[in-house]
Amino acid sequence: MTYALQLAVAGIAVGSVYALIALGIVLIYKCSGVVNFAQGAYAMVGAYLTYALINLGLSAVIAVIVSMAIMAGLGILTERLILRPMLKAPVVAVMMVTLGLLILSQAICLAVWGPDQIAFPALFPAGALEIAGIFMTYNYVATGFLSALLCVTFLAFYRFTPIGLMQRCAADNSRAALAIGIHVSNQVSIAWAMSAALAGLGGTLLATLNGLSLGLADIGLIAFPVIVLGGLSSLGGAFVAGLVLGVLQSFTDGWLTPSLEDFLRAHTRVYSVGALQQVVPYALLVLMLLVRPEGLFGRRGTERV
Amino acid sequence: MSLTARSVTIHFGGLVAVDAMDLDAIPPEIIGLIGPNGAGKTTFLNCISGIYRPTGGSVLWNGEELVGQAPHVLLGRGIARTFQSITSLHDLSVLDVVKLGADMRGDLSVGDRMRSLFLSEKALDEELTEMLLRPLRLADVAHTPIQTLSYGHRKAVDLARALAAHPMLLLLDEPVAGLTSQEGMAMAGVIRSVRDRFGCAVVMVEHKMDVVMDTCERIVVMAAGAKIFAGSPAEVQSSAEVRRVYLGEPS
Repeated sequence: MTYALQLAVAGIAVGSVYALIALGIVLIYKCSGVVNFAQGAYAMVGAYLTYALINLGLSAVIAVIVSMAIMAGLGILTERLILRPMLKAPVVAVMMVTLGLLILSQAICLAVWGPDQIAFPALFPAGALEIAGIFMTYNYVATGFLSALLCVTFLAFYRFTPIGLMQRCAADNSRAALAIGIHVSNQVSIAWAMSAALAGLGGTLLATLNGLSLGLADIGLIAFPVIVLGGLSSLGGAFVAGLVLGVLQSFTDGWLTPSLEDFLRAHTRVYSVGALQQVVPYALLVLMLLVRPEGLFGRRGTERV
Repeated sequence: MSLTARSVTIHFGGLVAVDAMDLDAIPPEIIGLIGPNGAGKTTFLNCISGIYRPTGGSVLWNGEELVGQAPHVLLGRGIARTFQSITSLHDLSVLDVVKLGADMRGDLSVGDRMRSLFLSEKALDEELTEMLLRPLRLADVAHTPIQTLSYGHRKAVDLARALAAHPMLLLLDEPVAGLTSQEGMAMAGVIRSVRDRFGCAVVMVEHKMDVVMDTCERIVVMAAGAKIFAGSPAEVQSSAEVRRVYLGEPS
């Protein structure tokens, strides 16, 4: 039981980072109709920037904030320089461009920081917290807490503030929003800025857990099962689905894989099942698309014939 | 404070939809814009409100040129409008849409806007409900998504949204069309009371003559893109020219 709780807590910590990054994808999709494959790149670049800033001698907190601000700027630049000229291009073309952005930014990070995994400077004190027999390193506690807090703050911002309301209106029907006097293109820029900044923070937090490498960009790929699970257009869904996926992965890693391997070793000559937890998101993706393509919280699209 | 439109012209290809229209509106008057179908009334309204860019002419508001400005800029200067066919928003509730209007008021400073980011919106919600939703009979549906409302209700929401911006010039495109005569009379009452309260100028395009005659102080008649007559409701009713446009030449 304690072990299960331990796994659940670890899963929630990682899952909130997934949620943070998936939120950004959903936000951009709602506002500009583009599925942004470069979200993982934002996470990776954000982490490398934080690393570079700390190396420059900034304190950790300031480095994270500055890197988020730079990421917001990068998000706006992406939107203004690349997305806006492609306003009339087919959506698939725009998605391909975001995929290109992902590859480009990986190449740039490779050129600047090299291919090796870098030890990320500790943002949080070393050591572990023990509550009711559950051990959590401060790293996990802080990561989980920070990303969950940011997710909730963001959702509240989107739900309750005037800018959030304008965002929702622009996402709902951009032509109508334009007609009633909302500066829609500014709203789209704000959406890109916010999601790039969120992703940058998510990448930084992930780097404190797993170290800094080009592989951080893969988080963008894990975020896709998350948004399919939650429903592509539901921000709340992305949050819940991120947590679900994190917990599911944690249980696969800590419980399903060992017991499966024990069973296989006892009855067959198979020794290892490999990194099963990396398969889980995509298995879930396929299953979800087969059973309920609109996601847990999405709305089924209707079309008038 | 006044609106001065001078020789506003717009053509689509070879079709001249609005031909050298002049219009003056000085708060707090209510002007009716009438004319047969296809006369260019809505097109003219679109030219004033930044939806279309006129091919020629100028539209001045307090001496500032409005031509070429986007709707959000106009709203910032106190010009709001409603639409003939109401726009559809899926997720937003009635109160949300009205709040959108209030958020875009032109007379808020940057400081006010920053503060409103952090303040509870409860007070604003109640103020909007009392001031706008209740007179328009929308208070009971304040939290209902607009899409599920009746046509009459949605028209009222559109008007409430425009009013929440505290406009000094309110452009209404067929506010009463499609409503039952009872709803229409109620709507006309609201338009008048809004004008009395805010002292704004209202320019309304409308086909329902009883409402126009009742509500407007001055009526401008358009036909084939041009102004053919302007005067008080009584003068319009007794004008032979207007009669001819509406009913055809006596044979």
